[in-house]
Amino acid sequence: MQNDILSILNESEGLNAKVFSLVRLKLLASLSVLGPDGATYRELKAALDINDGVLFANLNVLKDMGYLTSEKITSEGKELELYTITTEGQDEWKRTKAWLCRFLHCGA
Amino acid sequence: MEENKSLAVQVSPLRSMTMEKRKKVIAFFKELGFEFNISRFDDRLIAQKIVCLLDLKGIDLGYSCSMYVRGPYSPDLTQDLFGFTREFENLETGSRLTTAEKETADDLGRIFGLKTVPLEVGATYGFYTMRQNSDPLEASRQVKRLKPFYSEAQIALGISKAKEFLYKPTRKDLEDLKKETGIWQRASLKSLEH
Repeated sequence: MQNDILSILNESEGLNAKVFSLVRLKLLASLSVLGPDGATYRELKAALDINDGVLFANLNVLKDMGYLTSEKITSEGKELELYTITTEGQDEWKRTKAWLCRFLHCGA
Repeated sequence: MEENKSLAVQVSPLRSMTMEKRKKVIAFFKELGFEFNISRFDDRLIAQKIVCLLDLKGIDLGYSCSMYVRGPYSPDLTQDLFGFTREFENLETGSRLTTAEKETADDLGRIFGLKTVPLEVGATYGFYTMRQNSDPLEASRQVKRLKPFYSEAQIALGISKAKEFLYKPTRKDLEDLKKETGIWQRASLKSLEH
């Protein structure tokens, strides 16, 4: 059992540690299900209840890592910022999720 | 050779089912006069909310809706919209709606008019009341929390449209309404006599 836990912990080295913040995990989890459709800044802000400074900074970090893209869109005549997860973002989220599942089962 | 030919035209039941549900949605779009364009954010939003409102109305199109950051939403529908864009944009379907389905589509079109805000507010309100069993007050509070970027008036209009579309008044509701408004109707008729 001890060996199993150690091997699971060691597997985490293959993950991007910068993803492991609550806000970034919430963003990746939310955007991964929406795929190419994406979500607007105002939708993310309201649904995840994250303040502007924190949200904007974390979206930019995920963008810089190549996990998200953003573009200006028009909805009901208003210009909005749309965020979409990239293939790299989807892959990283899948890896992170799979590892978290293994880790939590291990701890249970 | 003959055997290979017959294999080539065979479609697996699962594939046939997924195609059928897609074609049914397209039939609804056609009935509603909805000219879907994948590159338009509002069109993708309208498509989602139409399917979720129909689902709440009891028309199972095979795309289940759950609550996500964008309100009631079906990731399976997104996959199909992006995977079979041409079919959706050209309204390619051989599927026909039943009379009841046509009536529901007409009601939806008449009440919401393919407008993003009422569709979004209405679907969200409907989801909270019907799927999460929230009382009307709690449901409108949740809608305001999830969609704070819409005005009070836009939310009130969307909720009233959702009620009109999703809830048919019972016989008792109609009788109560008649009792309540009867006195005013009679007074109004009487005033016409003068």
